[in-house]
Amino acid sequence: MRYLLRRAGFFLLTLWAAVTLNFFLPRMMPGNPAIAMMGKFRGRLTGPARQSLETIFGVNTHESLLAQYWHYLGDMATGNFGTSLFFFPSPVGQVVRSAIPWTLGLFGVVTILAFILGTGVGIVGAWRRGGVIDSVAPPLLVITSAIPYFWVGMMFILIFGLKLQWLPWSGGMDITETPAWTGEFIGNVVEHAILPALALLITTIGTWTLTMRNNMVTTLAEDYVRMARAKGLSNPRIMLDYAARNAVLPNLTGFAMSLGFVVGGAILIEYVFNYPGVGYMLLQAVEN
Amino acid sequence: MRRIILTGAAALLAAALAACSSGSSSSTNGPSGSANGPTGTLTISNEQGTQWNCSFNPFNPGNLGEGVTMGQVYEPLMFVNTLQNAKTTPWLASGYAWSTGNKTLTFTIQKNVTFSDGTPMTAADVAFTFNLLKKFPGLDVDSVWSVLSTVTQQGDTVVMQFKAPSVPYFYYIADQIPIVPEHIWSTIKDPVTYADSKPVGTGAYTVSPCTPQNITYVANPHYWQPGLPKIAKVLYPAFTSNDPANTYLATGQAQWGSQFIPNIDKFYTSKSSDNHYWFAPIANVSLIPNLTKPGIGDVAVRQAIAYAIDRNKVGQVGEYGEEPGANQNGIATPTFSAWMDNTSAAKYGYGYNPAKAQALLTQAGYAKGSDGIYAKGGQKLAFTVINIGGYSDWVASMSVVQAELKAVGIGLTAQNLAQNDYLNRLYAGDFDFAYYAQTGGPTPYYEFRQWLYAANSAPIGKNASSNWERYSNPATDKLLDSYAITTDSAKQHDIVNQLQQVVLSDVPYIPVTEEVGWFQYNTAKFTGWPTQDNPYAIPAAYAYPDMGQVLLHLSPK
Repeated sequence: MRYLLRRAGFFLLTLWAAVTLNFFLPRMMPGNPAIAMMGKFRGRLTGPARQSLETIFGVNTHESLLAQYWHYLGDMATGNFGTSLFFFPSPVGQVVRSAIPWTLGLFGVVTILAFILGTGVGIVGAWRRGGVIDSVAPPLLVITSAIPYFWVGMMFILIFGLKLQWLPWSGGMDITETPAWTGEFIGNVVEHAILPALALLITTIGTWTLTMRNNMVTTLAEDYVRMARAKGLSNPRIMLDYAARNAVLPNLTGFAMSLGFVVGGAILIEYVFNYPGVGYMLLQAVEN
Repeated sequence: MRRIILTGAAALLAAALAACSSGSSSSTNGPSGSANGPTGTLTISNEQGTQWNCSFNPFNPGNLGEGVTMGQVYEPLMFVNTLQNAKTTPWLASGYAWSTGNKTLTFTIQKNVTFSDGTPMTAADVAFTFNLLKKFPGLDVDSVWSVLSTVTQQGDTVVMQFKAPSVPYFYYIADQIPIVPEHIWSTIKDPVTYADSKPVGTGAYTVSPCTPQNITYVANPHYWQPGLPKIAKVLYPAFTSNDPANTYLATGQAQWGSQFIPNIDKFYTSKSSDNHYWFAPIANVSLIPNLTKPGIGDVAVRQAIAYAIDRNKVGQVGEYGEEPGANQNGIATPTFSAWMDNTSAAKYGYGYNPAKAQALLTQAGYAKGSDGIYAKGGQKLAFTVINIGGYSDWVASMSVVQAELKAVGIGLTAQNLAQNDYLNRLYAGDFDFAYYAQTGGPTPYYEFRQWLYAANSAPIGKNASSNWERYSNPATDKLLDSYAITTDSAKQHDIVNQLQQVVLSDVPYIPVTEEVGWFQYNTAKFTGWPTQDNPYAIPAAYAYPDMGQVLLHLSPK
């Protein structure tokens, strides 16, 4: 219990620090959202209209910074993230909520798949060290993970989308589709997700494979594995229950951390495939 | 839209597409040529770099710039055509008249107009719309109430009284203000933040439905012009980057494009004999000097720069030949050729003349230093130019200019910035030179006013709305004010001639290339596109309300 409470406390502290930084940093940077609006207008925004927009965006409110900060904390706690500047006048919550399912769906599923597949290949590769799988898979997968996401994505669009025309290459769904929980819609979504998912998969699987394989190799040299072999246990049982279960621990920690990054989205994949996720919104938020 | 991030994508895809057959179109088209009712589905390709927020509020600058609402969903009183010398045709108003020395403007409103929910539109809605702008200044982005004093309905006319004659504001009042239904907007507490996701307007199209990835417009069954629109459905997908948008056009999945496509002949026109493009110039992308800085404040230096740049070359290299070179008169030709003052142009003879540039500098007392850069009294002619890093065509244009200026002994270093940072510095006057364009308007006066009017400027450190070079000349202001009070064409031409002479002699800015309306179109399934011979509207999907006019003229084959 105390362990959980300590962890929760530490989490809240980190959360508070992140929120505070998120409040102060943009306000310390030059420029304000009304200037970005002026840019959209190429100078036609003058006088009363501009002042009005500035009021809406909360610029020049004459409130002290501390008072603004207090309101900000209160808003964060109640989930009121305010009005979006880039997607004015939609509320931030709505904007993010519309994009999150796509990111979680694509990026989340791919991360899990990459972890499972990569770890699996690593286990088998280490078990039969020097065998066919071990000689081919880890080096190949490490090479593919060194290739930039967007290049793989573009190659896929070129080959599978345009030349062979096997799969759609733009968007999260057909532009004429409306979201509905029908088999046809879900099939359409999956179809659109295949190319981005594959591109993401082959570029991320390498790290899991390599780390798992290396951990397995050291674990296989342990005494308890030798004991299991001496006892005459079956090979799959030793491989999985004795060696892999211990070797996977570092990978598991990495996996837990990478799940956190899923929410940030895969900017490059979304950019190349025109996928409606949160990653590109992050880019726009920073740029504006 | 023009934003291209520096990837090799376009080149890669171009090379590959050159080898593969043109893709199948996935757009569904109904049977063409049916006698009754609209048919067909048109797809637009205009990359906005964002997904749709499904807000159709026609006063919101973001929505307007995307071309999603004004023109096709909401309509203005009259249509003013930039490409036909501000030719004005009726839209929601059947006619207009100036009176009492250009201080009263009366519009006669069309009868039998209904909103898409079946409610009749009357002059009351027009008066309501304008008074809504007065009540909520955040909606009045064109500042029409800076010149209006009252707007009242009188029967089926709307009478607008001006504080003083301001004839050019006709464009903003008649062409740029969407008429909204009083029975809906009078109930909205804060129209500035109103999303208006299910818009009710008089326009030819209604929204059904809008998702973050695509807007589907369907023909308005209550539309007040009989037999229009002819196209049943218009799809407007959201593109976050240029490459999918350009590829949609090349494969024929989209028929109406507003994209900047590098190497357009290889990538787009060669794919099908039905693929065409036409770029109509509307304003000038210019090198903007900060007139308050030493060295730059010397008119001889600016004139030298104007002679040192080969504008056509910049257009060829930087813009792939898709933007013509501009001229120092500041007149975008051939759109506004009728306004060009050829006499003064010939008198100054601005053109690519590096020898003359150097002669001018020497005459003004500058001497070339050992580093090849001219200097006078310790002031070296070495400057920086800020630019938007994301616009790769502008970055390329500036590198051409940089090389040409170096050849005449003026140093120019480019600083490519993120857009928001760039705009900050541009408005505040924190630059030596900048590269940007004005919005312009239906005649050259609008662009000149944006560049030259002192009230549009601001001291260094404060934000200037359009006169970023900080040009201030009371005589020029008087000229601009005198244009505003007259409707006489001869007087207007005379004033614009004098304005050109200001730009020629004072060189407050240096036009480099002409900003065009990006336009690609496919004639396989649709006809009625604007062309050079029939420029009935600015053909870009982001031009408002022109894109509404285009949709009213198009029909399936």
